[in-house]
Amino acid sequence: MFSLSEEGVAFVKRELNRYEDRRSAVIPALYRVQKENKGWVSPESVTYLSHLMDIPSAWIEEVLTFYTMFNKRPVGKYHVQVCCNISCSMNGGREMADHLCSTLKLKEDEVSGDGRYTISRVECLGACDKAPMMQVNDDYHEGLTNDKAVEILRGLK
Amino acid sequence: MPKCTINGKAIEVKPGTTVIQAFKAAGVEIAHYCWHPGLSVAGVCRLCMVQIEGQAKLQIGCNTLVTEGMVVNNTSEPVKEAVKWGLDFHLINHPLDCPICDQAGECGLQDQYVHFGKYDPEMAMPKQKKHKVVDLGPTIVLDTERCILCSRCVRFTDEVSKTNELGIFNRGDRSEIGTVENKPLDNNYSLNTVDICPVGALTSKDFRFRQRVWYLKEAASVCTGCSTGCNVNVYYNEEGAWRVKPVQNEKVNGYWMCDKGRDIYKFVNKEARLQTAKVGSKDQWRLLEGGQAAKDVGDSLRQVAKTEGADKIALVVTGQYTNEEYDSLLDFFNGTLAVKNVYHWVNNPEDMTGFDGILFRGDRNPNTAGLKARLEKRGLKSDWLDLEKKIKAGAYKYVVVAGPENNSVFPDLESKAKMMSAAPHLVWLTAAKSEAVDSATTATYQIPLKTFIEKDGTYTNHVGLEQKVKRGTTIVAGALTLSEAVSLMSGEELDFSLRPKPLTNLKTNFFTAKRGEL
Repeated sequence: MFSLSEEGVAFVKRELNRYEDRRSAVIPALYRVQKENKGWVSPESVTYLSHLMDIPSAWIEEVLTFYTMFNKRPVGKYHVQVCCNISCSMNGGREMADHLCSTLKLKEDEVSGDGRYTISRVECLGACDKAPMMQVNDDYHEGLTNDKAVEILRGLK
Repeated sequence: MPKCTINGKAIEVKPGTTVIQAFKAAGVEIAHYCWHPGLSVAGVCRLCMVQIEGQAKLQIGCNTLVTEGMVVNNTSEPVKEAVKWGLDFHLINHPLDCPICDQAGECGLQDQYVHFGKYDPEMAMPKQKKHKVVDLGPTIVLDTERCILCSRCVRFTDEVSKTNELGIFNRGDRSEIGTVENKPLDNNYSLNTVDICPVGALTSKDFRFRQRVWYLKEAASVCTGCSTGCNVNVYYNEEGAWRVKPVQNEKVNGYWMCDKGRDIYKFVNKEARLQTAKVGSKDQWRLLEGGQAAKDVGDSLRQVAKTEGADKIALVVTGQYTNEEYDSLLDFFNGTLAVKNVYHWVNNPEDMTGFDGILFRGDRNPNTAGLKARLEKRGLKSDWLDLEKKIKAGAYKYVVVAGPENNSVFPDLESKAKMMSAAPHLVWLTAAKSEAVDSATTATYQIPLKTFIEKDGTYTNHVGLEQKVKRGTTIVAGALTLSEAVSLMSGEELDFSLRPKPLTNLKTNFFTAKRGEL
């Protein structure tokens, strides 16, 4: 059964007090859950959150399914988001995503066998000047080539 | 009181009135899906567009308040153009297969399309495929392709039933309504979401694909499912009744009714009814005409009252009849025969005062208040426990029962029928057939009565509000109203040639047989 850490609970309570409408605190709360739940929001964590925040789980689920930045399925230890928007695509972003998948022998949005990686294609991450780029968990890696990207991923601890 | 002009018609409205309400008040048609008078304003369908003089842009009528001197119309070219395009956007992913849709004939989208449709859609892309035939719970089936995301049902579960099951999940053209983790939508008010769904997305399992709505007639009536007395329309055709929907009455039920109340059409249909009078006892029933049975019973009753005294007769009454029927019943028994032993049969004494906070009450009789008032007026106060004792002691020769019309709300029917059949003679007046009475071991008369949809009368609800019901149709031709049965008992002759013609279509089709289970 999932539950937030003590600091996590305190954080959600603080967010609830910050807004007039309890619903407003759903996004920060979900983001916190995702952080503490290995990068994804599980159905049981939605139930947990609905009890913690005292709002119906349907309201949380609505927000959760609306935003693509919340992961509804488990992700690997390193969630690699490859930008495939215009600038990155023009500079080989799509090919880079394909190359990473075939090198690491996994399909898009799936967790690799060793649980280390998940590769996803995403829309613009706002680093068009350094295209192509990818985001690994919270870190940006810019101005990549296929080999450089593989090297970075292999080099992660 | 702001004055405004709606399509050239000057009216005065209360402060705080929205433009769409002003249109309704002025009796002017205005397109809308997401707005519902009983729910909050969402403003998502963008169809109630109006042009307000002095404002450059069109406004949505549902979320704009009327101000003093406002001049509004929804007939100008820009409005027509906006509604036409708004409708085209709704139809981007909505299937245009009205002939196979269960909502056809009472569909908001279909109606609007006839008025405002761009019959030549601009959209070249294929439609989004979504989930069809989603089992949403015990009462409802959902078709997410037909849904136009007006959010009425979501707001209903948030605001009225307060159960919060439904939500709109995902986004853009992949948005769908649904429940969290496919939990069933299971509350006593779920079918209201079907009523307010402007398209064929939410359909009632009980009614979907049973009948075409344009073949059904409607009769205004009052729900007999509990003592709240919600105002309803009963939909029927020559094969019987098919469904019940609420009618707005601010004093009683607002816009809603409960799911249990919607089952009241089931016991009025032939399959559930006592169709002719029966005389005899267990396994040895002789059929005879209802009127004749009532006459025979009346003769015996009057004989007993004369020779052995009225104390030999007991009358048992349920709260399921109209005030007029109680009056004639008590006039004959209490007045003419001087019977003092009148018992009020309470079906579920434990939760007679129960109330779920919205509409549904534990007292599942439409007219308990009316009966109580009439018994009180005549000073008839017989203790129910007394009945069993006296029957056992052989104090009663005749027990006359004005029994339940709706057997399903009488959980104690079997035990009570058994208890009463210990008397030497039992007279059972009821609309419903019941195995409990069919297995009575004593000499019994069963006389068929009419249900609420087949008679005129008045019910008094839990707060004492009197509401009239009107005859809609006749389903069992041989049935009598309680008043008619009592008149015949008292020796009067009735002219049955004046009675309305019964339903003649006796065919049993697949759909009739499949009509909601009892």
